[in-house]
Amino acid sequence: MKHFNYSLVAISMLAGLLPALVQADTLAVTNAKIYTSTEQGVLSNASVIIEDGKIIQLNPDVVNADIIIDAKGGILTPGFIGAMNPLGLVEVGQEKMTRDTNDKAADMTFDPSLAFNPKSVAIPFARKGGITRNIVAPGGGETIFSGQTIEVTLTGEWDSVVATEQALFVSLGAKHEGSRIIGMQNLINKLEEGQKALAKSDKDADKTPSKEALIINAVLSGDKPVIAYADRGSDILQLIKLKQRFNIDLVLLQAADAVLLADEIAKAKIPVIMDAMRNLPESFDSLHNSLDNAGKLSKAGVKVVLATPGDAHNNYALRYSAGNAVANGMNYDDAMAAITSNVADTFHLEAGRIAVGMPADMVLWSGDPFEYSSHIEKMWIGGEEQSTESRQDVLRDRYMTKSSMPQAYTK
Amino acid sequence: MSKFAPSLTVIAMSVALLGCNQTQKQDPQVTINKNPYPSTYQALPRSATLLTNATVLTGKGEKLEQANVLMVDGKIKAVGTNIADELVAGATVIDATDMWITPGIIDVHSHLGVYPSPSADAHSDGNEVTNPNTAEVWAEHSVWPQDPAFNRAREGGVTTLQILPGSANLIGGRGVTLKNTPSTTMQGMKFPDAPYGLKMACGENPKGAYGRKQTVAPMTRMGNMAGYRQAFIEATEYKLAWDKYEADYAAGLNPKAPERDLTYDTLKGVLEGEILIHNHCYKAEEMAMMVDLGKEFNYHSGTFHHAIEGYKIADLLAENGNCAAMWPDWWGFKMEANDMIVENVAMVDAVKNSCAVVHSDSSTTIQRLNQETAKIMYSANQHGFNLTEEHVISWITSNAAKSLGIAGKTGSLEAGKNADVVIWNGNPFSVYAQADKVFIDGAKVFDRQDDAYRAKSDFMLGQQ
Repeated sequence: MKHFNYSLVAISMLAGLLPALVQADTLAVTNAKIYTSTEQGVLSNASVIIEDGKIIQLNPDVVNADIIIDAKGGILTPGFIGAMNPLGLVEVGQEKMTRDTNDKAADMTFDPSLAFNPKSVAIPFARKGGITRNIVAPGGGETIFSGQTIEVTLTGEWDSVVATEQALFVSLGAKHEGSRIIGMQNLINKLEEGQKALAKSDKDADKTPSKEALIINAVLSGDKPVIAYADRGSDILQLIKLKQRFNIDLVLLQAADAVLLADEIAKAKIPVIMDAMRNLPESFDSLHNSLDNAGKLSKAGVKVVLATPGDAHNNYALRYSAGNAVANGMNYDDAMAAITSNVADTFHLEAGRIAVGMPADMVLWSGDPFEYSSHIEKMWIGGEEQSTESRQDVLRDRYMTKSSMPQAYTK
Repeated sequence: MSKFAPSLTVIAMSVALLGCNQTQKQDPQVTINKNPYPSTYQALPRSATLLTNATVLTGKGEKLEQANVLMVDGKIKAVGTNIADELVAGATVIDATDMWITPGIIDVHSHLGVYPSPSADAHSDGNEVTNPNTAEVWAEHSVWPQDPAFNRAREGGVTTLQILPGSANLIGGRGVTLKNTPSTTMQGMKFPDAPYGLKMACGENPKGAYGRKQTVAPMTRMGNMAGYRQAFIEATEYKLAWDKYEADYAAGLNPKAPERDLTYDTLKGVLEGEILIHNHCYKAEEMAMMVDLGKEFNYHSGTFHHAIEGYKIADLLAENGNCAAMWPDWWGFKMEANDMIVENVAMVDAVKNSCAVVHSDSSTTIQRLNQETAKIMYSANQHGFNLTEEHVISWITSNAAKSLGIAGKTGSLEAGKNADVVIWNGNPFSVYAQADKVFIDGAKVFDRQDDAYRAKSDFMLGQQ
């Protein structure tokens, strides 16, 4: 029964803490090695104080708080942020009735928040990897436009959606049928039309713009990032030109060939969201995938975001991707930023750092958070302590419990 | 069954004729060549090599500190802290201080070469989705040896891998075990004398691939079972026809040989125990039925692959001598993968006489089977297990070798075994560890420090 202890302890602590925090008491975590993901870097023997879900003091000289948790030298990181996956939209991939993405009719206005399910069993499993916040990506559509991303926290509560209509997702590159040219032309045309319409609407102010026009206007004003999936260098170059021509807030997704254009991408200040584990020439668009690409891009000055794009169920493994990136040449601090502050910056989030004023999304680790040997001791989202127990733990415990009755009676 | 009636009739007639003519002249005996595409594998250049001062996981449950491994003529000659001087004389010495040594990693479930990179339509050769029973196809006839992923897998320490056909069919065809050595031909990679495997698949894939059209069985799990049973009924008839032919011939008669049938050649090989079952089967209740199916037709149900629910029937698997090949954390993509637990492998392993294996089924995961194992070990240890590095390495070495029927040749660092060896630059269960040098049959096939030992596929050569 030893295996049962951990989860029982976690639950009892959660039960003990919750009422205290509701009363807006202050909570301090002391004696931690804090990876701030800010210019302050790593603080040793440090403390952080939170109140009303936010960080109110970082490493003060005197710790004064209602509840004090001694981290005993453990590592405290910002909660990790997943990006560009369908978490909360897909329960079982191949069961169409459990899937609210990849609709043919999806277009620029497709809004994942209308279906986001904070009770998905994939969410507690993601929390096990220290993920506290996520960018849910739309998918599908018959054009290059799949919709806009949303920002959610991983509390599993009904109020998990933080922001909608956040970034516009565009899919470019090789097509199974037809030419990639049509996709790129489609994007250019939309931006050109948007520009013309804006120029006109100055004279014709009383006309109400369409939803699509509003989205394109937000893109053209630089308020709304454009996440462009493209792998081949020639596509990336076209997109760099597009950013320069329309001054849009462009982000590259995957971008296998980015390593060939690292300086240009860095100079154009274009972040790259990538799966660090890609190292095969999966297609003729991605002949330059390599485990050392994340490190190379980062060293060239590109803001790298590490992600597990497209996967609703295994975001928890994001920290291992970061570890593998480090094993293959990425600077450790860059890898930490790539799953915290860089994600926040890329999607304009108020999160991803342990800094005064930030939401208290924090994870206390038993050791190096990128290592298999470490696990979560405690985690908080918006100052509230989270359970790291998932359906998988309950299943395991059922089948590890010896009983004279069938397992169906063990709960 | 009617399919074999003509040959049975011929046999009956020849027996009848025999009564009149005891001195009948025999035609040449018809035999089936069981190895028509033989291995041409040759070890790469090698010399006696001594690896020194490493932490050695033997794959047989031991962890030796400051130990040496001696490889001579492609075999492990000795392992330990105290190897006699006369044995090591003349050997090339590689200092492996601060490094770890394990047996070469074995993946029992791979589609490299049959689903290669890049995934061009023209190279999609892993799934003969034309009939629920395609026992006649052999994965080795689809392998593209230039798949760049073979090289990446070698860099992850993989020295042996079984290439299986895909899982659309109830009976998908033969798998082949390869040595992960670069070659321009499949035969040049083929693991000499490794038994063939037969890919079977339970559950959602076959019923989905066929029943969806509502014209071809199976469209249900009961249809799946009916399909397997029908196939083995026919295979039994086929085997009986050949047995009779051989017995009659041996008795001096001149029987007509049964008509060759590639499908039933393979299933006959299963019934004779020469071809090992590798069964894509996720769910507890389905694995239990496949065990019974094997008993019904008198063959062994072999290894269950993707056994997501292995933990629910760990006792049954061990009692029946089944290996289970599993992932730590694949889930959520289909209903039969819904009950994943990260500790599955540990729970299957915890039973006496078990055979737990970690597999990849992935061109990327195959590169990190050590890390997949680490996930399980650390998670399980957090929940009451007491797994050690020296034990869990068996999940990707000796147990995998057992599943493939090659445990007598590879999978552990023991005197006399093939010198399939990996030197890791640290604890292989760390996220930061990398294979530094890889040996197959005592020959260096990869060296992270030396570009001369980093193979590149024809396809990647000259790409801009």
